[in-house]
Amino acid sequence: MKHKLHLRIQKIILPLVLLVLLMSGCASTTQVVLLPDPDGKVGILEVSNVKGTQTLNQAWQTTESASMDRTPSEPKILEEKKVRQAFREALEAEPIPPASFIIYFRTDRSALSTDSRTLLTKVIDAIQARKSTDIIISGHTDAVGPIDYNRRLSLRRAKAVADILVARGIDRQNIQVTYHGKGNPLVPTPDGVPEPRNRRVEVTVR
Amino acid sequence: MRTSNKKYDIEHLNRSLILSLLKKKFMRISLITICLVFICCIGMATAEEPRAGFVKNVSGQAFIERNKVTLPAKVKDRLMENDILITGSSGSMGVILQDNSVMSIGSNTRLVISKFVFEPADEKLSFIAQIKKGTVVYLTGLIAKLNHSGVRFETPAATCGIRGTHFAIKVEDPGN
Repeated sequence: MKHKLHLRIQKIILPLVLLVLLMSGCASTTQVVLLPDPDGKVGILEVSNVKGTQTLNQAWQTTESASMDRTPSEPKILEEKKVRQAFREALEAEPIPPASFIIYFRTDRSALSTDSRTLLTKVIDAIQARKSTDIIISGHTDAVGPIDYNRRLSLRRAKAVADILVARGIDRQNIQVTYHGKGNPLVPTPDGVPEPRNRRVEVTVR
Repeated sequence: MRTSNKKYDIEHLNRSLILSLLKKKFMRISLITICLVFICCIGMATAEEPRAGFVKNVSGQAFIERNKVTLPAKVKDRLMENDILITGSSGSMGVILQDNSVMSIGSNTRLVISKFVFEPADEKLSFIAQIKKGTVVYLTGLIAKLNHSGVRFETPAATCGIRGTHFAIKVEDPGN
């Protein structure tokens, strides 16, 4: 009974609130700014409402929409400094994007080459820069050999990488090891075909 | 008179006996169904609800609202579809989503993760966020890369369709 009454009140009040919001016009003006990607590239963004669409495709370009029933404003370019000021808190809280690395192996081997050990130094740098507690290591093989054998080989490869990271001071609790055998190739091949690019361990640092 | 009364009594007894038997049976059936429903619910709760991401950093007043329960956000907290990210007047929060996109919010913000599906093998790729108020910065990840119409940010005044980019949105608090 009480619940029903509550529902009915909600039914009356909700449209009222929406109406008031619509009538007040500048209720919740939305400002959208296109930022350059960390690598300097600039993407495309479409800002639309019932009245129209504006496309942003230059760095620091902005458009504003006062409400759903008013066309978003002509795009204009803002000063970088002003954008950084207006979005300071969110920009400061922005996590470093995850990084991925690929370590390659010789056929039927799970030992790392000297080059791979150098790459692991970069992995450790990425972990430290992000204070990462979420490191995913996945082992893979090419399509040569039986399924079971390749599953074990891919696990050995992934564990070899994890062990080196742990030996260099990374907390094992922050590492997840998965293995895929030949089931998840980077370059798909028919069964039995050797492919060096598929004999690999992928490391994602988040 | 008496005999008929007795007969009536017996009949009545019979009927109530049958009724109570039926009741028992009904109770047993309903108990079984309740148990089954319960088991199904538990099964669904554990098997379903893949995570949408996790909290990477928190400062000041920052909260996650899930199923109408609001808890302080902590680093490494899981995020799920339908979670609401909330910050107070001195809060901010950074999160990493499962598709490796990154999102952060400034103070006085309310953002609903209204949809998050990341199943590349089944080509199910979608992220929809509703910004009720506040400031948000987002850098796209795999969903936007694999599905050009897969990422959308909705505000009370506009919808932003994203095709692989980095951007900032500010929504003025309707209360101000």
